[in-house]
Amino acid sequence: MTRNAMIDEWYPVGLASQLDAHGRGTALMGEPIEVRCGEDGTAKVTGGNGRVLPTCIRYGHVWSSLGDPKKPLFAIPEADQPGRRLVDVGVVRVRCSPLRAVENFLDIAHFPFVHTDILGSEPHTEVQNYKVEIREDEDEVWATQVKFYQPQAAKSAEGGITTEYMYRVPAPTCSILYKTCPPHPGEWDVITLFVQPLAEDLCDVWPWMALFDDETPMTDLIHFQQTIFVQDRSILENQIPRLLPLDPGMEIPTRADLTSVAYRRWLKRHGYTYGAQLVAQ
Amino acid sequence: MRLSHGFVRGETLSCIYHGWGYAQEGNCLRIPAHPALTPPDTIRVATQHVEDGDGVIWISAGEAAAPPPRLDGVAPLRSMMVEANVAALEAAAGAKAAGGLLDHSNDGLTLRLLLAPDGEARTLMHVLVGEDANPTERIAASRAAETLRRAAERIRSGGAVQ
Repeated sequence: MTRNAMIDEWYPVGLASQLDAHGRGTALMGEPIEVRCGEDGTAKVTGGNGRVLPTCIRYGHVWSSLGDPKKPLFAIPEADQPGRRLVDVGVVRVRCSPLRAVENFLDIAHFPFVHTDILGSEPHTEVQNYKVEIREDEDEVWATQVKFYQPQAAKSAEGGITTEYMYRVPAPTCSILYKTCPPHPGEWDVITLFVQPLAEDLCDVWPWMALFDDETPMTDLIHFQQTIFVQDRSILENQIPRLLPLDPGMEIPTRADLTSVAYRRWLKRHGYTYGAQLVAQ
Repeated sequence: MRLSHGFVRGETLSCIYHGWGYAQEGNCLRIPAHPALTPPDTIRVATQHVEDGDGVIWISAGEAAAPPPRLDGVAPLRSMMVEANVAALEAAAGAKAAGGLLDHSNDGLTLRLLLAPDGEARTLMHVLVGEDANPTERIAASRAAETLRRAAERIRSGGAVQ
C-alpha cells in the first residue's frame, strides 16, 4: 500500500470568521475532524482519535492537514495588497471528486453553456490559443494569456468585454484565478477555489476573492459567485465517471483543454490520486 | 455528462457542458470552442433506434423484433425514478408486470406503469392514465404513483408493505 501523497497537503476546513469555542465537526479525506477556537484564541483542529493536527489561518480560512506538511501554505501575494476587498463566499457542498471541482474551475469552454449570459454567451464560444506550463521551481500548474468574451465578467463589469485570465494550481485541490479587473487596468482580480476533500466523491468548496471593487455591496459579490458555483454544481454532480480519470480513456481533449491535461499530468506525477481513477474504464 | 442533460436545436443534439453538437447519425458536427475545426469522424456517440408512439418515446436495446406496443386509451402523465427494482414495485402494487407494463388500481383509478429497469436497484417508471381523465383524477394518479414508489423503496430497504 503506497502512502497517499495528498495526506501531507494543506486543506481548507472552515472560515476563520466563523471559528468559535464550541467547534464544528467536519471531515478530511474520510476522517472526522473538529475545528474550534482554542482558549488562546488560535484555531485548533483535532483528528478522529483526538490527535492535534497542523493548523494555520490564511486567506479567510482555517487550514489543516492529516499528515505532515512539507511546506507552508502556498503564497498569494495579492491577498496582502492594500485596497483589495477580501470576500468570504462561504461553502458549497458538492457530491463530486475534489479534483473534478478544480478541473471544472480551470475550464473556460463551458462558460457560454453553463454560465449563459454571465461568463459567456453564444456565438462567442471560441477558446483562443493560450499558454500552459508546469513551473518546475514553484511546482505549480500555470495557464496564461487565456482570453474569453464575457457578457458580464464581474459584478463591476458593464456590458461585454474580452476578459484575460491566468490560472494557477499551487496545490492538488486549490486553484487561483487572476482576472482582468475592469475598474483597475493593470491589476488582476483574484478569485480562488479552495476545495476541502471530505471523501473521494464528496467535497466542500470554499470560494474566496480579493477584488478591487469598492462599489458593489458585499452581499451582491457573494451572490454573484454563489450563482456561478451553483450552476457548476449541476454539472459536477452528473459527471461520469465520478472520479477524475488520470489515464487516457474515452475522453477526447482539444486545444481548449490544455490546462486540464497539464493538471492531470501534474497530479499523476505527484501521486495526487485521492479522487482520481488510474485505470481507464 | 450524459447527452440527456443536453438540448436539441434543429436536428442537432447538443451537450449541456461544452455545447458539442451531434447529428442524428451520432457524428460530431460542431465543437464551439474551436468553430473553425471540422470535427474528425472518429468523434462519435452511440445511437439508438427510436420510435415515437402514443406519446411515448421508445428505444430498442439491439435490433427490435417488433414495433413498440400500442397503448390505446391511455396518455402519459409523468415519469419518475424509483430507487427499487421491478420486483419491489410488483410487490408494492400486489400485481405482476406483463411486457414491461404494470397495472395498479387505487381508489377506483387504474394506473398503467411502464417500467424501464436502470441497473439492479433502480427503475424508471412512466405513469400513464386514461386519456379522458380529468385534472383532479390526474393529480390523484400522480399522488398514487408517488405512494407506490415510497412503498417499493421501503420494501427494497427491508421495511414492510403498508
